[in-house]
Amino acid sequence: MAQLLEVIRRRMPRVRAQMAQTDKPTNRRMRPQPTPVDIAPDDPLVAYFLDTPEAVELERLRLDSPALRELKAAGVAIVIPLVSQGELVGVLNLGPRMSQQDYSSDDRGLLNTLASQAAPAVRVAQLVRQQQIETRERERIEQELRVARLIQQTLLPKELPEMPGWQLAAYYQPARAVGGDFYDFLPFSDGRLGIVIGDVTDKGVPAALVMATTRSILRTAAQEGLATPGDVLARANDLLFPDIPPRMFVTCLYGILNPHTGALVYANAGHDLPHQRQEGGAIELRATGMPLGLMPGMSYEERETILAPGDSVLFYSDGLVEAHNPEREMFGFPRLMTLMADWEDTVPLIERMLNELASFTGAGWEQEDDVTLVALQREKQACAPLTPLADVDDQADDGWQSLAAFETASAPGNEREVIAHVEQALAPLALPHKRIEQLKTAVAEATMNAMEHGSHYEADHPVTILVRANATEVSVRIRDTGGDQTIPEAHTPDIEAKLAELQTPRGWGLFLIKSLVDDMRVSSDGVFHTVELIINREGEHHANQNV
Amino acid sequence: MADTTITMSVRRVDALICIIDIQGDITAFAEPELMRAYTEATEPSAHAIILNFTGLEYMNSGGIGLIVTLMIRMNRLKQRLLAFGLSDHYTHIFELTRLNEAIGVYPTENAAVAAAARER
Repeated sequence: MAQLLEVIRRRMPRVRAQMAQTDKPTNRRMRPQPTPVDIAPDDPLVAYFLDTPEAVELERLRLDSPALRELKAAGVAIVIPLVSQGELVGVLNLGPRMSQQDYSSDDRGLLNTLASQAAPAVRVAQLVRQQQIETRERERIEQELRVARLIQQTLLPKELPEMPGWQLAAYYQPARAVGGDFYDFLPFSDGRLGIVIGDVTDKGVPAALVMATTRSILRTAAQEGLATPGDVLARANDLLFPDIPPRMFVTCLYGILNPHTGALVYANAGHDLPHQRQEGGAIELRATGMPLGLMPGMSYEERETILAPGDSVLFYSDGLVEAHNPEREMFGFPRLMTLMADWEDTVPLIERMLNELASFTGAGWEQEDDVTLVALQREKQACAPLTPLADVDDQADDGWQSLAAFETASAPGNEREVIAHVEQALAPLALPHKRIEQLKTAVAEATMNAMEHGSHYEADHPVTILVRANATEVSVRIRDTGGDQTIPEAHTPDIEAKLAELQTPRGWGLFLIKSLVDDMRVSSDGVFHTVELIINREGEHHANQNV
Repeated sequence: MADTTITMSVRRVDALICIIDIQGDITAFAEPELMRAYTEATEPSAHAIILNFTGLEYMNSGGIGLIVTLMIRMNRLKQRLLAFGLSDHYTHIFELTRLNEAIGVYPTENAAVAAAARER
């Protein structure tokens, strides 16, 4: 046989044929490289081969075929198509015989026999090769997913911060394709806690790398809690925007929790709204803002909510609300809102959500996206709001009669119980209604100050209240355990400055106290801090004239 | 802890005037509910919002701060905040804090609605 040419596989956009020609077959080093000839799927030669699957001398073919012209130009004399199961899987191309004689009918018969045996073998080889390529591709994807998972899991918090009076829980389950979910906790030195939850568009390694970058940027921008959540997101957006790959962005919510007061200040860059479970139902925590990385120079609205004892907030990713059941219905926000409103804390919040998700999606659910849940819960007060005391007044002042002595746990809202108790204690004195209302407001504010600034809302630092009266005055002493603390100078609130945003909207408490009582005496002994409020039993008070 | 429940419902007087009926306590805890009601009242539009304090049971300095926050937000949008139904005590608090100079305070709903209509 003169020159045997290679067979190139079918099942590709083109059949590629190569021919090796040799003038001196014994000298392999002198062989020229085969010239590949591509045969397009729509080339008339393909149809001819399929119709006539036997050796053919090209000089005898009359077809308007680019491939035919190329084969002739390459010196191919005879072509034997390799057809298996009705498909052209390759061709054998032969050059002229070394003897310069034509191929005989025996030669063609031998070549046809060879082709009939080679074609199935070539087909099998092609399938094996295809499978090897697919296997390598699967392994490459799996390796990439392993890397993506590793990046994510390395950067997610290993431990949950511990805060007395609070429960924190987190759950992260990546989808098989690994999305870009992340969460983070930033404990600040003053006791506050930064909470981050986010989601990068796209999946796999690109999403994981953007997630890692975003996490680092947020940690830097947070500045030990000195920057507000809105400023942090704005800064992160500007840093992320120049380098984020096209068509990618990051949704992210950042909040700072003050565990003493229960205040959660937050801003949102297009992330799913957290839900707060509170007495009487559930609410969405709304704040507007564009996702990170879409446009530079964005600003982010800041909002604040207060978590009362027993309240919870659920932060989550879209893998929860966008999960589908077998009927292709979505889990959805209304279902989440109902679950939050109905949740009883006999079962942990995250466990409750996962049970509902499993029940909704049914067995055999293929998770479509990462599912990330972060639950924050303020524990209920362990002690009763008020505890009667025998008497906390160790100074026997002539003429003063003790009407009530009790203590209250330092928790937001407990001042309501305190003023109700004070009013009850003063009932026998039959003070004018107006005077009672004024004293109640002053006592409420002083109690709130004591619980927040003196006891830092710590349950084991209660505030004690002593109610006394003499012939002309009523005294209410409010005592906390912040006697060793320096009391900051309070600014006099001014409504015009506040409306012009030159002063904080808050900061009315001390002003109200001074305005509503006849005298206020403050003392500290290194352990206890005491505020004594005094009103005259008769007539109008006049202290506010000096405020 | 004490009962801190608050409910607010929105009544639309006309296309530009809404009343928010307050029932319960105005403290810092009331912010989500107040902002929800405010959003409901201003969608699709409202020029004036009237707070009905008839059902107010308790308001502290946190609640006053919340009202100021609402006013700042409304001032930015050139919206008007009015109020009626304050008890004598909270009327006094509004006077002490001079909130009554920034908010139109009226004795009755009709008076507040009439004032809002005049200011269009």
